[in-house]
Amino acid sequence: MSFDYMAIWSNRDLLIQGLLTTLLIAGVAIPIGIIIGIVVCMLRISKNRLLRWPAMAYIEIIRNIPLLILLFMMFYALPFFGIRLSGLTIGFICLSIYGGAYFAEVFRGGVEAVSKGQTDAAKALGLKYGFYMRRVIFPQLYSYVFPPATNIALTLIKETSLLSMVTVAELTYAAHDINGRTFTPVETFATIALIYWGISILFLKLTAGLQSRIEVGHISQPLAIR
Amino acid sequence: MELQFFEILPQTGPMFAAALYTIFVGIIACGVGIAVGTVLLMMRNSRLWVMRNFAGLYGSFIRGTPVLVQILVFYYALAPLIGLNIGPLTAGIMAVGFNSGAYVAEILRGGLSRIPPGQWEAAKALGLSRHKTWFRVILPQVYYSVIPLLVNEFTMVIKITPLLSTITVIELTRASQMLYTETFRPVEVLLIAAVIYFVICFSISQYGEFLQRRSQKYRL
Repeated sequence: MSFDYMAIWSNRDLLIQGLLTTLLIAGVAIPIGIIIGIVVCMLRISKNRLLRWPAMAYIEIIRNIPLLILLFMMFYALPFFGIRLSGLTIGFICLSIYGGAYFAEVFRGGVEAVSKGQTDAAKALGLKYGFYMRRVIFPQLYSYVFPPATNIALTLIKETSLLSMVTVAELTYAAHDINGRTFTPVETFATIALIYWGISILFLKLTAGLQSRIEVGHISQPLAIR
Repeated sequence: MELQFFEILPQTGPMFAAALYTIFVGIIACGVGIAVGTVLLMMRNSRLWVMRNFAGLYGSFIRGTPVLVQILVFYYALAPLIGLNIGPLTAGIMAVGFNSGAYVAEILRGGLSRIPPGQWEAAKALGLSRHKTWFRVILPQVYYSVIPLLVNEFTMVIKITPLLSTITVIELTRASQMLYTETFRPVEVLLIAAVIYFVICFSISQYGEFLQRRSQKYRL
């Protein structure tokens, strides 16, 4: 069996374009997801039921439905209601919403891990809730939240590959495209697998560098989602 | 437009059958995952340098590439390359299982770290071979201690199965796609599919949490 590497090389523009789109989607969806996660986490840990229950419902619903179904629902359902969005926009929205639920759980885990015992101390000192959150919990949160949040960000980078199924021309879509025209499945899919692997390794190296600067104390690392 | 659930509902029979099929695929893939994870765990703790490095590389690859790409690589590239002539279902189950294996290996590693080293020494003192120590002494305890996490892993596997629709395995997502191309009612059909997925995953993950709470209550 011979390999046709020229098929990859002559279509490198498509792959590079796809790679840039993938990075763009991840680069937009991760920060928005983190913001959604922080807001939902604040709602989730609030004492008011009217705020807590919708947040709980959001987290549970998103975490128990596959991303692909969410994507399809947005992609096919919104036009029925007269809203027309491009696949790319739907990708941004879906990945942000999806990531938001997981980030919220990570932040909640961090708050719970930090606040063991500190809640009592803060109460004894007569600190107000807002002040306690801002000045006691938040500064300590970083080292607890960083490793699992990294995992989820990496997952979101990988999940961008699903957007190929709602016609977003990212890396996986580019591979399907090249494969369709040159019929070289082995070469194309192996190539994009290596590219994704490279992105992930680079991302983990970067975040590990960041983390070593802020590392404080013991950190338990939960497993990544996919 | 108006939602017409009552017109769609009588036609959803294939979807519920496909939901059962999804669970079936999930169970087998999870079984493959546990087998692969166990092998990886033993390789990671092997005395051979090559074995340890292979396990590390494997984990890095699986966690560093999207599941969708792994499925595509497995179905379109790897299986033909090594001369395996397997259908989409087998390829899909293998791909998902091999993916799950890397994560199961991490779960098992967590369980292994809780086994006191005295167990190894005791087994050695009793003259058990390394092989026997693994299978008769260490692994049963590891499995037992990580049952709640394995239950959660099962929901993860269920959430990967929609990707098998890309390689024409007729599981729940594919069945709903077929139904809405037939009826032109994607909103209703996909909502029903989402509800089915939610019911499956939510009930399993709640059961996992129940097991976790119970194990925390009774241990130590």
